[in-house]
Amino acid sequence: MNKEILISVSKRIITSFVVIFLLASFIFVLIRLAPGSPTQKFISPQLSPELANNVAKSFNLDKPIFTQYIYFVKNIFTGDLGISYNYRMPVLSVVKDYFLFTLFFASLSFLIQMIVSYFLVKISFYKSGGIIDKSLSKISLILFVTPSFVLGLMLVYIFSVQLDWLPTSGIKSIYHEDFSLANQIWDYAVHLILPLITLSAAGIAVFYLYLRDSIAEIYNQSFIINLRANGYTEKNIFNKHIIPNAIRPLVSIAGIEFGILLGGALITEVIFSLPGMGRLTVDAIFNRDFPLVIGCSLIAGLMMVLTNLLADLIKIKIDKRLVKDLLQ
Amino acid sequence: MNPKIKIWQFLLLLYATLIVFRLEYLVSLAELYFEFVRLLIKQEPNISRQMDFRFIDALISFVFIILLPIVLISVKKIRRLILNPLNLSETVIILLVVCFMFAPIITRQNPNFQKNISVTKLLPPLSSVKYIELKNPVSMNETEIEKFVRQKNSIIPESFNDAVIFIDSLKVSLSKSPESIVKNTNPPLVKYYQNGIVKNIPLEKLIEKNGYPTIKEKYFLFGSDEFGRDIFTRIVYGSRISLLVGFGSVLLSLIIGIGFSFIAAQKGNFADLIISRFTDLFLSFPAIFLVVLILALFGSNLISVIIVLGLSGWMSLFKLVKTEIASIKKKEYFISAELIGLKNKNLLIREILPVIIAPVIVNLIFQFSNVILAESALSYLGLGTGTSYPSWGAMIEAGQEYITKSWWMIFIPGFILIVTLLSINSIGRKINRFYNPKITV
Repeated sequence: MNKEILISVSKRIITSFVVIFLLASFIFVLIRLAPGSPTQKFISPQLSPELANNVAKSFNLDKPIFTQYIYFVKNIFTGDLGISYNYRMPVLSVVKDYFLFTLFFASLSFLIQMIVSYFLVKISFYKSGGIIDKSLSKISLILFVTPSFVLGLMLVYIFSVQLDWLPTSGIKSIYHEDFSLANQIWDYAVHLILPLITLSAAGIAVFYLYLRDSIAEIYNQSFIINLRANGYTEKNIFNKHIIPNAIRPLVSIAGIEFGILLGGALITEVIFSLPGMGRLTVDAIFNRDFPLVIGCSLIAGLMMVLTNLLADLIKIKIDKRLVKDLLQ
Repeated sequence: MNPKIKIWQFLLLLYATLIVFRLEYLVSLAELYFEFVRLLIKQEPNISRQMDFRFIDALISFVFIILLPIVLISVKKIRRLILNPLNLSETVIILLVVCFMFAPIITRQNPNFQKNISVTKLLPPLSSVKYIELKNPVSMNETEIEKFVRQKNSIIPESFNDAVIFIDSLKVSLSKSPESIVKNTNPPLVKYYQNGIVKNIPLEKLIEKNGYPTIKEKYFLFGSDEFGRDIFTRIVYGSRISLLVGFGSVLLSLIIGIGFSFIAAQKGNFADLIISRFTDLFLSFPAIFLVVLILALFGSNLISVIIVLGLSGWMSLFKLVKTEIASIKKKEYFISAELIGLKNKNLLIREILPVIIAPVIVNLIFQFSNVILAESALSYLGLGTGTSYPSWGAMIEAGQEYITKSWWMIFIPGFILIVTLLSINSIGRKINRFYNPKITV
């Protein structure tokens, strides 16, 4: 059994890599077709044509597209993503800092989404039909549709502009270096509160709605009624029988959500000017920084594949029957 | 519980309100178009040049407002639909559609109108500004076409109007200006204040009454933005961008998604494999980056936003329809229909379409709200439909800069965006519940 799982997982990883490679090629072609040249930023009219050509040469842009594509393929398979035009550094070292921030930020937001929505569902389950349950459903519907930029700006207006409790943007304050370690951590925390709320609100609402729906569906099934008739406590039924069944369809949604978060939370990063992958990618697109765009999109695709795989493995862990589906 | 209002009653109320408040305007619009047709028949030179976008826009709204009751009454399906009781989300959708169709009639201002920014900028909601008007110089021997242009400009507002001066306050004085001493006359001067700056204008140039200029007031229901543009007008016009992008890209997704899924279902394995891989390719990447990539590289305008959002949205529909068709093909009624010898076209229309139409409609409604959300997010990022036409997302983006001074620039468009999305979603959920009834706790 374990061998079969291993084979299917490796098969899946290979196909995913092929898909990611195709995607990167697609972006490669798209980016070369687009109007505007990355060299323009570094060339002024006073520059002699020879020097201007040298700029293009240093970017490997003087050769025909097909040769460039071969270089690109070679680079991808050796793991070397080239040198960013804008930062004048290898792409991986540019991406590293941004990715670490995004990893931390996304994981934290994801944890918050899972934990908060779980507890909200628990509350609304025990008080089901009551005022709390109904208002939670309404609020989560509203949060679900609220665009993150509207929510973020409203939060900034209320908590930063009017009440002056929290900072409006950035990740640390100006005098950050002078603080003691505890104060530095506190400073980071204070700066991350509003972004985390902005990023997590929609996710909390999604998880809450899905979990609430699937719990409502399972609650009336005959095995639950049977358990209740046998005298199990409500708490026991909820924790051991309802939740594992209800959580199964949620795992794949959570996998996709986490993958998207790891690709970068573009809007939240723009509102609060945070140094994350989303803004890095978009800045690279606007600057026509080809290697950086490809690098960022590769990482985003990779994260998506990994989290989906993880979600499937967790699903198998919960329900062994799903191995068959995965093997097919 | 009070009896519920029916949809047709609400529509009638809206219609009556529009007619009562804008009767004068509608009559003058009718006169304008009559004049236009008359000049066109007379083959006046340069008359066709007057047919600009806003002229045709107002014409279409005018035609719609006449046709609306006829359509509502004559088409049977719509007649049955509007007999249903009204709820909140339908109210919002109806209001949006009314804004979409009748924007030039609901608000008589140009969404880009700006004048005397120092007085009109960043006004809070429910405030008003005084203004004085210059006299219209009516020359005696103006041609018919000049008369027509004057009439048109007074009815269909331009984004700039010379004749209007917004003021904080004014003072009429009989001071002696140098010219008046030379000419030995003493025309009364009007002093007006604009945000601390004093300016003079002779009274005779203004529309006046008993030696005092007539002061009118302009109301800003939702306040004004950083250029003194009326936010209410911009929101009414902004609904058009949202709905247009929504309809356009949902239609595109529908065509692509259904087309591909039929191809995948019919032509056997190979096409299916390729399209499925392609779908995986796009689903394996956060869509927003691809959308931003394409729009940033190739430029963003209304058409490109519609196309890109339409292209990024068909995958879920494709997967849905494909699985539905696969399950229908195993059903007995389909197999028997096939054995009877129905052609592919008949199979499609009689056996497949009626079954898939319900989940497809639900999917499209959610897709619609997603597209509106995406459009506003793109506008917020500066990759929207351009600056010539207002859009809700772009309005919020403009408000971000003035967040310390003016909350209404963010909260009002934001609130309207949320209410819109909420209504669309709740209608989608309702239809979904109707087709997939579930027993809940």
